[in-house]
Amino acid sequence: MSYVFFPGCSLAGTAKDFHKSAMAVAAKLGLDLPELKDWICCGSTSAHAGDPLLADALPAQSLSLAGGTTVAVACAACYSRLKTANHHIAGDPELRARVAQVTGRDYDGRTEVRHLLEILCRDLGVARVAQAIRRPLGGLRVACYYGCLLSRPPEVTNFDDPENPMLMDRLLEAAGAVPLEWPHKTECCGASASITDPGVVVELTRHILEMAQAAGAECIATACPLCQLNLDLRQKDVKARFGRRYNLPVFYFTQLLGLAMGCPAKDLSLASLIVAPHRLLKAKGIGAEA
Amino acid sequence: MTAAAAGIEIGDFGGFAREVKARSGASPMSCLQCAKCSSGCPVAGRADLRPHEAVRLVQMDQRQAVLASRFIWECTSCQTCATRCPQNVNPAAMNDALRAMSRAAGAVVAGADSPAFHDVFLDAVRRRGRVSELSLMMRFKLRTRRFFRDAGKAPVMLLKGKLPLTGKRVAGRAGREAMFRKAAEGGAE
Repeated sequence: MSYVFFPGCSLAGTAKDFHKSAMAVAAKLGLDLPELKDWICCGSTSAHAGDPLLADALPAQSLSLAGGTTVAVACAACYSRLKTANHHIAGDPELRARVAQVTGRDYDGRTEVRHLLEILCRDLGVARVAQAIRRPLGGLRVACYYGCLLSRPPEVTNFDDPENPMLMDRLLEAAGAVPLEWPHKTECCGASASITDPGVVVELTRHILEMAQAAGAECIATACPLCQLNLDLRQKDVKARFGRRYNLPVFYFTQLLGLAMGCPAKDLSLASLIVAPHRLLKAKGIGAEA
Repeated sequence: MTAAAAGIEIGDFGGFAREVKARSGASPMSCLQCAKCSSGCPVAGRADLRPHEAVRLVQMDQRQAVLASRFIWECTSCQTCATRCPQNVNPAAMNDALRAMSRAAGAVVAGADSPAFHDVFLDAVRRRGRVSELSLMMRFKLRTRRFFRDAGKAPVMLLKGKLPLTGKRVAGRAGREAMFRKAAEGGAE
């Protein structure tokens, strides 16, 4: 299957480590992810909070550029907006016409959108990923955290079980980690409230960190730029407000897969993590040099 | 006590709910108050309304109470309520409509910073096609005058290379300007 990659705005900034590690893993798997030319921002929360038509038109503009090739996405918020626009446009001819009026081109809402987790787990398959593992993760106990927008709402994303998704668990298990059962896989971290109302995020991330630790996690794996940033960056604020120090490294799942595939640390941008993972990786015998 | 003295609006018998439905596809009139939304809502514990209460107020035409609530802005759009609702009410979509209606009615509660954030965000999309997070945060701070909140975060993120100083632009600004204008007009000819 061939893809074009829609990186989204965060992958050039706060989530450049996600971008870099995703590309490193893709290279190890022989997965070609050329960037979609001239993509524009999906509109994220801001478009759908104000103008429903714009919220469908912005993704439609980018999706129509893909010329029918499956669009691969890493950011959970982009994924949600692209799939929501598809769901709306494909199911409503009148809306499709209005969106065409706004963007200046007709788009049928049928260009496939797939998250990297789906591509690795379903399109390539866990067995193919397992073949690429060179340095297994040594039983690293990991809480796989999916956040909100990959699995919800299920009739739009059709991603996995909305309450207990397993795609990331299966990949990291194949990489030699021990994914944990825990109840906060899809709890909200507060997302962009980190900018508008940080108190919300400090409270919500605390619940997630607390539950991950209670489940025995040594680290958390994420698949969304805002989830990663909030859980990583806010640990200091959680300590200041609640007096609890978790010191849990918060990886992108691609960073852990990359380590297991023998990618060098610099290709995975591990130095961008705020809670430093080096002590944990050393203790578990997880080395970056192939 | 009169209804007005008790702060109760005498509405137009479901007109508010119909307007919300027309704008968002949400179905507030289907709500049977099971409160499953509120049990899973990440902000129900801190907001001034819980989701099922907001839906009830919409059913009962209490425009001012809903449009001036903190709840509609504190909602994180996590979609948990929409996923679990047995009646397909979709409170998350309802809130999208309520936010737009709150702004149009000039009813936004004092202290809500989300409208400013959304304006700054969409302005960047319109002008540049993409959002540079550093520029977004600086513009948001200028707009809200909240210079000291989280002031320690930017240096950490800069140090970690998470806030590049230059962002990419996409050509086609005139096209995007037209797109935003037409969307605001509803996509009609």
